[in-house]
Amino acid sequence: MNVAAPKLLAKSQLLQSVRIAAKRGPYRCFSCSIHVQQQTTPPPSGQDAPRTTHFGFETVAEALKEHKVSAVFSSVASSYDTMNDLMSLGIHRLWKDHFVRNLNPGSNPLTTRSPDSQGWNILDIAGGTGDVAFRMLDHASTINNDAHTRVTVADINPNMLAEGRKRALATPYARSPRLSFMEANAEHLPTIPDNSIDLYTVAFGIRNFTNKDAALREAFRVLKPGGVFACLEFSKVNSSLFDAVYKRWSFGVIPLIGQLVAGDRDSYQYLVESIERFPSQTEFRDMIKNAGFLVPGQGWEDLTGGIAAIHKGVKPIEGHT
Amino acid sequence: MALPTRLARSAIPKLRASPLLPAFQPPQFLLPTLFAPTLHPQSQTSSYHSYEHNPPSPFSVPESAILSSALQHVPAYGFTSTALKLGARDAGYLDVSTNLLPRGVFDLVNYHLVTERLSLKDRVQFPLQGDGGAGDLGRIGVGEKVRTLALARLRANGRVIGRWQEALAIMAQPTHLPASIAELARLSDEIWFLAGDTSVDTSWYTKRASLSAIYSAAEVFMTQDTSSDFVDTERFLVERLEDVERVGGWLGEVGEWVGYTGHSVVNVLRSKGVRI
Repeated sequence: MNVAAPKLLAKSQLLQSVRIAAKRGPYRCFSCSIHVQQQTTPPPSGQDAPRTTHFGFETVAEALKEHKVSAVFSSVASSYDTMNDLMSLGIHRLWKDHFVRNLNPGSNPLTTRSPDSQGWNILDIAGGTGDVAFRMLDHASTINNDAHTRVTVADINPNMLAEGRKRALATPYARSPRLSFMEANAEHLPTIPDNSIDLYTVAFGIRNFTNKDAALREAFRVLKPGGVFACLEFSKVNSSLFDAVYKRWSFGVIPLIGQLVAGDRDSYQYLVESIERFPSQTEFRDMIKNAGFLVPGQGWEDLTGGIAAIHKGVKPIEGHT
Repeated sequence: MALPTRLARSAIPKLRASPLLPAFQPPQFLLPTLFAPTLHPQSQTSSYHSYEHNPPSPFSVPESAILSSALQHVPAYGFTSTALKLGARDAGYLDVSTNLLPRGVFDLVNYHLVTERLSLKDRVQFPLQGDGGAGDLGRIGVGEKVRTLALARLRANGRVIGRWQEALAIMAQPTHLPASIAELARLSDEIWFLAGDTSVDTSWYTKRASLSAIYSAAEVFMTQDTSSDFVDTERFLVERLEDVERVGGWLGEVGEWVGYTGHSVVNVLRSKGVRI
């Protein structure tokens, strides 16, 4: 595989974006991750021996992870898109497009026999910047001529939501009732009633959840029978040769890009470590099954040799298991 | 050749009830003792035809609920995601539930192929063959059984024939081609098995290969067939099968001639003192 060419390309893009970022304003500082770490106040822990989870390769108290993840995303929110393009060489756009096209959101009113069809009710978890939400609304409107399908973007991080709201202004959905934002923890969604959601999506988010099983159970609760849980997430590369190249890229280059472009090495170090820690395709498929979902086919679809994977689960209908 | 009579006979699938297929019977006493430990009722697939166990349905309950209702919409909407969504709704699911089918419309085509293949043995049954006595209306040859079975399978496409070109196009897509060809191979294997073919030589392969080729050609022919009750397709199928028999016979004769001449030449040379 020719790594030199993309590296060169990345370098020139990188220089350009550094220049743009420098022009953009005062928010950018090379030390913002340290800044964030100082700001982070550890939440009060009720127990003497707190339960632990992993934060990248570190082991931290479960109660602390949420805050640490929150700090990471607060610090990367503004440069999120540039960074995604640089780190994935633009491929993350193809993954997201494929993800949405495959889900095919929206019901064509011409083939809907019931005139009171309200379109799909989609919940986009951890979709702060609205990447996947806008794609789904676009797909529903232009491919399926569906003007009713609506998306609720939920994110635990207000900074990411603010970024999404800002971006929504450039889309036709900014002031329409089809798009709404809410700050919520995916492990506990008290404002969303049972059996109310057609499609639950989470793109590059579930990795950061403290308790993935709790989030899956909550997804099962809010979905209508027949509703679909769809997850786009980094996964395990299948070919060992490609894996070696990919590991070089993710551990060698991504933190460096983070340092140069976003001024934040630690956040991107966390990103690659959390990818490494995320369960493999089969393990995650079994987690989805254990939450009560039916999985289609083998349960997942690999993208770009397994760098990312799409997992799906369908909530069964009573008596149809 | 008495073509019209044979056509008339093969046009009607023999639907006489028979408890046992007159097909190749393996030594039954061997099966339970030798293979019992490996026979799991819940095993997903078996690569052989079992007389003792009905293989489990290859589709889960939700899948077959959605797909069987979706097939009802195929004449109107074709093999499309619209038919799938309408089928999901009929089965009590949501539009989004079509994500249960990872291959989308190909799963719909595949469902039609698999269910029609599996129902072949129930739809076409041959009478138990008697002892060949005076009352027996002549034994039905393997060739004629193959013709009847292939025709019955083709007729099963009749309901969706107006949309079958779409299905062929979906099957021919590079991502779906391997699965389609495998399914075609399973169909011709099923037909030869049900016809009672017991060959254990290389003709096992050539028979399946030639039937696959003829069947797929007849399927394409059928999409353009405007004759009533697909009479033209039937004639096409019969003629192609006869062609194969003729070519097979001719090849056999050529082989025989080559073998005889070769032996003669060697023997003549030996008689002249050549050390061979």
